[in-house]
Amino acid sequence: MLAVFLLYTSIAGGGNPSLAPSELAGRTGTVQLAGVVVGPVRGDAHAGGLRFGLKDIGRDTTTVAVRYTGSVPDLFKVGRHVVVDGELRRGTFVAEPGSMITKCPSKYAPKKSGDSA
Amino acid sequence: MPELGRAALLVTLGLSAYAVIAGAYAAHLGRRRLARSAQNALVASFVSTAVAAAVLVAALLRNDFSFEYVARTTSRALPTPYTLSAFWGGQEGSLLLWLLILTGFGAAAVSINRAWARDLIVWVVPVLAAVSTFFAFLLVAVASPFVTQAAPADGAGMTPSLQNPYMLAHPPLLYLGYVGLTVPFAFAMGALLSGKLDERWLIATRRWTLFAWAALGIGQLIGSHWAYVEVGWGGYYAWDPVENAALMPWLAATAFLHSVMIQEKRGMLKIWNVLLVVLAFSLALFGTFLTRSGVVNSIHSFTQSSIGPWFLGFIAVVVAVSLGVVLWRLPQLRSPTKLESAISREAAFLYNNLLLLALCLAILWGVVYPMLSEAVRGEAVVLGRSYYDFFLRAFGLPLLLLMGIGPLIAWRRASLKSLATTFRWPTVVALSTGAVLLLLGAGSSIPGLVAYTFSAFVLATIVMEFARGTRARKALGASSWPSAFTSLVSRNRRRYGGYVVHAAIVLFAIGVAGSSAFDSVAEAKLARGQSMRIGDYTLVYRSLSERQAPNATEIRATLGVRRGDRDLGTLEAGKNAYTIEQQVSNEVGIRSDKLTGEDLFVIAEQIDPNGTVYFRVFVKPLVNLIWLAGLVFLLGSVITLWPDRREQRRLVARASTVGLPATR
Repeated sequence: MLAVFLLYTSIAGGGNPSLAPSELAGRTGTVQLAGVVVGPVRGDAHAGGLRFGLKDIGRDTTTVAVRYTGSVPDLFKVGRHVVVDGELRRGTFVAEPGSMITKCPSKYAPKKSGDSA
Repeated sequence: MPELGRAALLVTLGLSAYAVIAGAYAAHLGRRRLARSAQNALVASFVSTAVAAAVLVAALLRNDFSFEYVARTTSRALPTPYTLSAFWGGQEGSLLLWLLILTGFGAAAVSINRAWARDLIVWVVPVLAAVSTFFAFLLVAVASPFVTQAAPADGAGMTPSLQNPYMLAHPPLLYLGYVGLTVPFAFAMGALLSGKLDERWLIATRRWTLFAWAALGIGQLIGSHWAYVEVGWGGYYAWDPVENAALMPWLAATAFLHSVMIQEKRGMLKIWNVLLVVLAFSLALFGTFLTRSGVVNSIHSFTQSSIGPWFLGFIAVVVAVSLGVVLWRLPQLRSPTKLESAISREAAFLYNNLLLLALCLAILWGVVYPMLSEAVRGEAVVLGRSYYDFFLRAFGLPLLLLMGIGPLIAWRRASLKSLATTFRWPTVVALSTGAVLLLLGAGSSIPGLVAYTFSAFVLATIVMEFARGTRARKALGASSWPSAFTSLVSRNRRRYGGYVVHAAIVLFAIGVAGSSAFDSVAEAKLARGQSMRIGDYTLVYRSLSERQAPNATEIRATLGVRRGDRDLGTLEAGKNAYTIEQQVSNEVGIRSDKLTGEDLFVIAEQIDPNGTVYFRVFVKPLVNLIWLAGLVFLLGSVITLWPDRREQRRLVARASTVGLPATR
């Protein structure tokens, strides 16, 4: 019974699909986008929006343009893995304000040379 | 030196494997000398693991960068305490810490209990050894901390946010908790495998479970506090998978600590208890897996690692074997006693267990949902904060209320009339607290108001219990009120320590409700001299300064803070730019009000070259009660954990009345 309950809430009660930048084309509605930050990073997150690109993690794919407003985590920079919520509007992924999280360089993750994580 | 470390780990692997095979063989055929030899192998494996650990510590202290692990996790400039903390700063080292604690706990638990529970211990040994064989194998074959290289001039250093005193305590405490849960698991398996299904495995492991549970709880609170003051986004818990990883086994262990009382007192819930202990241990393994595997998108880990599949396989084996053993012994586990009434202490504990488990499973579901939906629908769906918040309210608030009811309600069958007498005053206190708060404007958040009302109810019952007990001891001839109070607590540490822990949970609930349901936030871009308001605080941005610390450039904005007409002095918030690590970190400014427990929390989000700063400011009422709750929780845990001869004798005597060889 609990399982049914949980299933119900998780389907009806929201939850966003998590996508890679290369899967974004043609998607509507709010999604969670996870990718690697690609420069140039321009603009102001608290005025007009921060603009940067995101591409797939670990693969060279096309870059999706992102506009973001709100808090920018400390670890945000080119090459870093970030996750933002938002939706695609006329070719630009408009992120929900304050939705960005970066991956903290975990003490448990093995570090590969050249990998900024 | 690295050869010595590698050799020591090989010896540990050999000894553990021997303890599994010889131990199981000896237990099956009843060979006492062979069983003894397996026990000795388990104890010896602790010694060899300690040697391996010592090699790694020595390498860290000598900055021996020919150890790949040392070069990756430290640097010459790193202060010594943090160099030592690099022991658990990387994957290989933290696995070694797991193994070290596991073999240490195993050796201790076996040595303490082998005299009075020999028939159990013979089966506990191979179970413990099987777990340490797994970790020793990982350390020998998959993730060795003793890989060498041509030594570079300097190491890569440690992530700045981990260079914090909290990180000296938080990870080891979580490990003590995770690994500590192995002991009750091994004893439960030992009882099932040996067929000695009496209550001795519970008596033998009660303190281990309590210890593991207390360490997990305090470890998590320290982690939360670290996130609050150091990570600086304005919160202390984000329902991140890695945070949930530690919360789930804690919830399962909490359920277990309560349900064992029902088995001790009434002989019920035997199957349930065994399943709970299996669940708690599996979740501890799952937690270790989550933090390392990179399977889930978490703030804390992103990189894929080599040990993930091994862990998943091991968890699958543990769950399958445990459930198989439980099924095999199912007929003997059935309880003769039945629940007599839905209004009784047994029933209240059962509801508590169901709610704790429901919360635990809801969180588990949220954690694995992205993976499941990816497998089923080809698309990972992530459940957000609202999902978890919903279940925390739906299951957490009734739990809070039950905490006041459960300990006071009668065993077997309680009459409604007795309930009315017992709970008259707590109900009056709760309702009047709720009414007063409603008048003061707390109606803005109904869950928050409910949490406060329930908290008042529970606190009233706890105060009543202490008052009643103290009065009784005074009547029995205690010389003074303080001595009546201390004798009350010391004569039943488990019960009154438990109340203290309950009080801590109430403080925690009040702190969480206050800081999440009644907080406020304001943001503004300020040039020097400009000011902003939040609640009755006024903040004036006065100046910006830059100073050079040994490893970072520190930029700080100074703010003048006033509350109403009162000058509260200044507050600094800014950023550190770390030179070697090339990272920037927020350094938040926090002003705590000692009297009300309220925090003013300032983040300098963006500092422009022209000196204007974008500030984000929170007012978090009562948030300091969360940290105070940690101290009270520690106090309560210590009271319950304190050795109590009288209680131990009582338990052993009870075990012997059911016809057991209790020789302790």
